[in-house]
Parts: sequence; structure tokens; C-alpha cells
Amino acid sequence: MIVLVVVMVLGCSGQTEPEVLRVATTTSLYDTGLWDALEDVFEDRYDADLQITAKGTGAALALGKSGDVDVVAVHDPAQEAAFIAGNYSVKALNFSAERVTWAYNYFIIVGPESDPAGIGNLTGSLAPEEAFQKIQQEGREVREAVKFVSRGDESGTHGKEKTIWASAGYNYTADIVGNGTADSWYIEAGTGMGATLVMADELVAYTLTDKGTFLAYQGDLDLVPLLDEGDILLNVYAVIICKNGSHYEMADNLVNFLRAPEIQYLIAGFRVPEYGEPLFYPWGPETCGLP
Amino acid sequence: MSLIEVVDLSHTYGEREVLKALNLGIGKGEVFALIGPTGAGKTTLLRIMDLLEVPCAGEIYFDGKGIPRSGTQRLEIRRRMSFIHQKPQVFDSSVYDNVACGLRWRGEKGNRIAQKVDHILEMVELAGYKNRNARTLSGGEAQRVALARSLVLEPEVLLLDEPTANLDPVSTQKIERLISYVARQRNTTMIVATHDMSQGQQLADRIGVLLDGKLVQTGDAKDIFRSPQNEEVARFVGMENILEGVVIAGNEGIAMINVGDDVIQAVSSYPVGKEVYACVRPEDITLHIADSCHQTAVRSSARNSFQTKVTGVTTIGPLSQVEMNCGFRLVALVTKISAEELDLQAGREVYATFKATGVHIMERKPHQ
Amino acid sequence: MTEIWDGLTKAVQLLISFDPQLMEIAWRSLGISGTACLLASLICLPLGSLIHFHHFRGKRALINIIQTLFVMPTVLVGLFLLVLLSRAGPLGFFGILFTPTAMVIGQMILITPLLLGLTISALSGVSREIVDTAISLGASSSQTIWLVLKEARYAVLAAVIMGFARAISEVGCALMVGGNIRGATRVITTVISLEAGKGNLELAIALGIILLFLALVINIALNRLQQR
Repeated sequence: MIVLVVVMVLGCSGQTEPEVLRVATTTSLYDTGLWDALEDVFEDRYDADLQITAKGTGAALALGKSGDVDVVAVHDPAQEAAFIAGNYSVKALNFSAERVTWAYNYFIIVGPESDPAGIGNLTGSLAPEEAFQKIQQEGREVREAVKFVSRGDESGTHGKEKTIWASAGYNYTADIVGNGTADSWYIEAGTGMGATLVMADELVAYTLTDKGTFLAYQGDLDLVPLLDEGDILLNVYAVIICKNGSHYEMADNLVNFLRAPEIQYLIAGFRVPEYGEPLFYPWGPETCGLP
Repeated sequence: MSLIEVVDLSHTYGEREVLKALNLGIGKGEVFALIGPTGAGKTTLLRIMDLLEVPCAGEIYFDGKGIPRSGTQRLEIRRRMSFIHQKPQVFDSSVYDNVACGLRWRGEKGNRIAQKVDHILEMVELAGYKNRNARTLSGGEAQRVALARSLVLEPEVLLLDEPTANLDPVSTQKIERLISYVARQRNTTMIVATHDMSQGQQLADRIGVLLDGKLVQTGDAKDIFRSPQNEEVARFVGMENILEGVVIAGNEGIAMINVGDDVIQAVSSYPVGKEVYACVRPEDITLHIADSCHQTAVRSSARNSFQTKVTGVTTIGPLSQVEMNCGFRLVALVTKISAEELDLQAGREVYATFKATGVHIMERKPHQ
Repeated sequence: MTEIWDGLTKAVQLLISFDPQLMEIAWRSLGISGTACLLASLICLPLGSLIHFHHFRGKRALINIIQTLFVMPTVLVGLFLLVLLSRAGPLGFFGILFTPTAMVIGQMILITPLLLGLTISALSGVSREIVDTAISLGASSSQTIWLVLKEARYAVLAAVIMGFARAISEVGCALMVGGNIRGATRVITTVISLEAGKGNLELAIALGIILLFLALVINIALNRLQQR
């Protein structure tokens, strides 16, 4: 034991300690493996030790508020705005706002191949809202056949879902959640994206998911993507430096790193050969045109 | 006919032979004491008789019928017997529930149970303890609960394994009285294992000596204590003086036995030349001070009298054990008071006297 | 640190106001874990007695295996059941995945080794002499087993409490086979995990305190029962 400690101390004393930067990231970015791909590049470039914890957006921001992480990478504009308004953030170097967007993709509505609510053929910019309306109406009337599984965990995906319900003309708490009884068509899973997908698959239900996680889980599921167009399905990933954290400089490095042209290029091509389509799109308009 | 009979019973625990081809029959209403040192196999024999264990070999007959080695019939027969353990064993419940359990197991009705339990608790003087948890009782009280628990079942056979070994003298006396009361009143057949010879003598109609897994001798108290069959039994029953000798003359039932330098007279019909043991119980030896005027008178009533020197005195309760040397070692037991009156101490010259009828002669087999 | 204090005040608030949603979740926790514990006890007490009172080859090995399974991870049980009960799994036709029934089964599987092992060791605490005494007093096999269970009642009750405690405090299996569905399979531990995931630390702590409070009430009740 003592020998081990001595070896560890000697092993570390040879070089300078890499600077630790703590990041809370939304699960979709982590589960797809994007952070694994970015981490090594960043650590090599800045001699940093990137410590990443994967949480729902709500929990990630809570860690940011308490200063338990230095940077948050999340995807819920409403919660992000509240975080900034609460004065928990600082501006990153070279950027004009606290919230720095760096990647995006689209949410998709997935469901059973039989598509009992018939949402697969909807088109147009309001297709998501229409789909939700159909699911709600069919769910009320033909309980057994049409079900919707909600994340129900205050994550970014859950936030997006609530936005769609509101945009479709519903009062989320009164019309959708209702009394939350066991036989309801609306099932609040209160769990992560992966588990929610598994549950929707088992219960032959619809659900809203980010495209990246769905692609990663698709192999084990009978669910099929039914709807992927509509402005409201846009899913934007942002990074924010936390005021109560530390290592501001290294945090600046991370923000600039994510928006650096070569990294944006890396994000654009991430796992494309595997899935045949991109999981994420780079944000920076100035970099989009790059090869 | 015997109520319980075991035939050629043998039992081993692993490598150890505990019972060796044992034969024993106990009559109905008989009180039988099984005496023997610790580890002789008494408990094992009782457990086998109570059908708690299946013997490795041999048969058991109850009321004339052979007992199968397994099956429900064993339970039925076991329910006609009851067993009292050496260490008082009570269940973690009230005294009442302890005593009632056997009746409940036999499906007896509630009011009958209450009646019987109350009556038996009265008998063992524990009526006031009915609602106490039995685990809070003293050892003596707990053993009375155990006895009541067995007696309430009115068993045909009561097996008692050293029932008083762990108890104080007062509790021992209470238990012994209860046992003899039940034996008299109910004519219950009893088998009492004990290493306390006086208890065996006091309670039993018949005694069996169990030595090293073998039933060496059975008989009434007089047979066992006066006329042990061999040296081992003699030693176990407290025959302190066991003298090796040879019969040198015999006349009208009186034999002259040469025990080294001296000759002892004993009632015996062994022929001349027979190698024997001459056994004398220490309490059968009387001591007198070497005083010439007594000498002749003593000689006339007892055939054996030796002038000897005391080599040591040990006090055992109210008695004194006096060791003497008269060419052979002789031990006598006298009351402590007479030892003091005679001023017995090492070096004192005394006459040790015993009758020819007080000498038990048994055959001596050549040592192997 | 303020979260803990806030959690405490929130717990008190929720408790004294008998918050209906909280009550529903608490009752469901009690119901599911209580049922699991009861059913497991009905299986394990007789089965444990059977194992204890019979001598057979491999008994020692069996007890070793049972004791090893004490540490069975809850998520492993969850995963195992998820595979079995999934629509694609061999028991999928029951359609009980993500229902309280699945949770009861999961918790039963989880606590069975614990209850079985502790029952056996509870019974081992009863001396051979007591068993012999019962037999010699004419108890049949089942009467003997019942007596020995009664003699070991404190240790047996402790085993049952341990089983219940493990059932009501586990989250891995409840989350995997229950799914934490609001109004159906949401229990205290899964809500704690959910609320902590949402960043609602105060509520999570409050719920944790309420779980402990529940445990306290149950323990006091059982202790009263023991003293009688």
C-alpha cells in the first residue's frame, strides 16, 4: 500500500499537473460518444484534464449553479435563459453572449412501425404540432392503441416536448399531464433518453428523441423515425461558463475550442460513415462553408 | 413381558463405538437406573429408546412390537414416552405454554389442557409461575417445568437423563421426590440415567451398570453394590478395597484367601488355588485403637482383624476416609466424629476389622 | 449544505401537509415492497426451514451460494428481468414489464437469498437440545419446524425486516423493470433519483428523509410487536 502511494507520488511529480476542467454535459452528447472524441484532442492541446459528467439539462445546470462544474454543455433554451438571468454565468472570451451555441441537430418523433395515430405522412413546417395533436386525440379516445412516453425529467428533450405541446395549443399541466393515472395514454417515465426509448419500444408507444441517441439505440429497437421535419424540432447545443466555477481561462479555451473551425469540421463528420448521415451539424456560420 | 426391550443394540458416532451389542428389557412399571461414568453411552441409549436416534444395528421392541427404522409409527410410539434432559430445556414462552405444548401437539382440547396444566403445575409447586417466561426461571425451577411438561402427558415411559446433574441439593431433592411420587402413584415405567450411585440406589427397583458401551451388570441395589461382577464394576460402585489373592483353604463355605503376607477369611465357595479378588467396602471396616483388652472381643465377632498403621486421613463431607497399610493398602470410611474421637491421624496404630460376610470374592481372570 | 437543511424543512412541510402526491408514492412504495417481502417470506421461511432441517449432499455449498447472492446488485436483477419480461423475451407475453407486478417480482428475487440465508442462520441459533426436546415431547415434523420458528422469532423477524429494508431502499431494479412511470410505478427511491436528476436536490432530500421516517415507523411498530 505504502509502496503504491510512493510510486504514485513519484509518477506524478515528474511532470506538471494538468489543469482540471469540470464539465456537465447533456446525456445525448455523451451517449453518442461525441465527448469521447473531443476530450483527447482538447486535453492534448491545452494540457488539461477534462472531467465530464453526463446529466439531464436540469441537473447539469444545477451543478453549474452550485459551482460543482466549471462549464455546462446543454440544450434547453428556456432553462439556459433562466440560468443566465440568474447571474450564474460569465461571458466567454471572444464572444458577445454568455450562451455560445456550437452544434445542432433535430429532434425526431419515433414510434411503432404500424403508426396507429397516422403521423408518418404529415409534412410542412407545423407537422410536429399536428402530430402531437393527433397523438393526444387518438390517445384519449383509443387508449390501448396510442401511447406517448415522455422523458418527464426536466431534461432538454423534455423541455422541447413541452414547447411543442404549448405550440400545439395545449396547457401542458392541465391537458397533457392531467392526473397522471396509471392507465393514461401519456406516460411520464422520469428517466434518461436511452431508458425512455426502451420503454417506448416495450409499450409500443411514441416518443420524442434527439436524433443522435436514437441512432445509437436504433439497432436494439423496433421503433422507427416517423417525423423529422418542422422548425420546432431544431435542437441547439450551447455551452456556458459558470460563474461559480473556477478555471475561467481553461473554460474560455474550451468554448473557443468547440467553435474552432477544425473542431466544427470534426463534429460535422462525427460517425457519419457508421450511420450514413450526420448526428450533429456544426453551428458557426463562418465555418459551415469549410471543406 | 418387557415394555421396552433392546436387542443386540450397537451404535457408533463416526469411528467411536458408543454402544456395543447391548441387550436390556425394562418391565412395565419398573424404575430402572442406568449408572455409569460420563461417556459410557447412557445418553445415547436413552435417545435411541426415545426414538430420537436410529441405532446402527439392533432392534427395539415397544410393548412387544418391533419399531420400524422410519415412518409415522415412530411418532405414535414416541408420544407414549417422554424424555427429561440433563440440562433443563425450556421453550422461550410462558410456563403455561411450555407445559401445554405436548398436549396441543396431541390435539387435546383447550379446556382439558387448562385443567391438566393447572393440576400439574400445582404438583410441581409452580402454580404461581404460570405466566412467567420459562427462560427467566432458575435451573431448578426450569427442570421442574420440564418435568411437569413431560408428566402432564401421562407418558407410559419416562426417560430421565441425569435429571439433577446441574442442580443444587435442594432442587435435586425436590426433583427426586417428584420422580418417586410419580413412580408410586402412576406406576410409570422409568429409566433414569445417573452417575450418582446413591440416586440410583434410592430411586430404582433395578440397576444396570453401563461401562464403555457395554451393559456389564444388572440387578438390584444389593447385587450391584455388594456383589459386583468384575473389577471394573467394583471400582465404579465404590469398592475401594480390591485385593488380589489366591484361595488357599476352604471349610464350610468359609475360604481362606492369601493376599500377600496376610490371610483373609471370606464367605465363598471357590475351590483352593483359584485366583480371586477380595473386595471390601470401606464403610464395612470398623476401626479400633490398638488396646489389648478390646482385642479378643473383636476377634470373636469378626473373622478378619489386622493391626495396622494409619497412613492418611481425608475428610469427605461428614465422613473421613482413612488409609492404612497392613502389608496391603486398606481404606475405611468412618464418620468424621468417630475419626476425631479415635484421634485418627497418620502414624496412629489401629485395628481394622471386617466380617467374613463383608468380603465379596470374585473371580480374577489372568491379565491379558 | 443549505440543500440538506432545505430538504429537511421541505420534508416536514410535505409530511404535515399530507401532500397527496407524496402520500400516493409512499403508499405505493410500502405496498410494492411490503407485498414483495410478504411473498418472499411465505416462500423463504418454509424453504429455509426445509434446508435447515434436512441433511443432504451439497448443503454447505448451497448455503454458500445463498450467502453470496446477498450482494447481488439490484441492477443485475433488473437487467435479468428486463430481458425476461421484454416483449421480445421469453416471458414477454405476460405484458407485465413496467408494472408494479414486475417490481414486486424483482424485489422478491432480490431479497429471497437474504431472507433464505438469514432464516437458516436464525434457525441455526436454536439449539439441537430444544429441537430434540420438542421431538421427544411428541411434536411431528411440521410441529417441530413451527416451534423452532417460534423459538427463533426475533432473529426471523430481523431477517424479514432486513428483506423489507433492502426491498424498499433499492432503486436499480425498480427503475429498470418499473420504469418510474408517474402514477403507476413511481416509488420513493425512483423519485429521489428522478428529482436529483432534475436538479431538485431539496425535494430529493426531503423524499429521502421521508423514506427514513417510514422505516422508523415500521421499526417501532415491529419492536412493539416483539415486546408483546
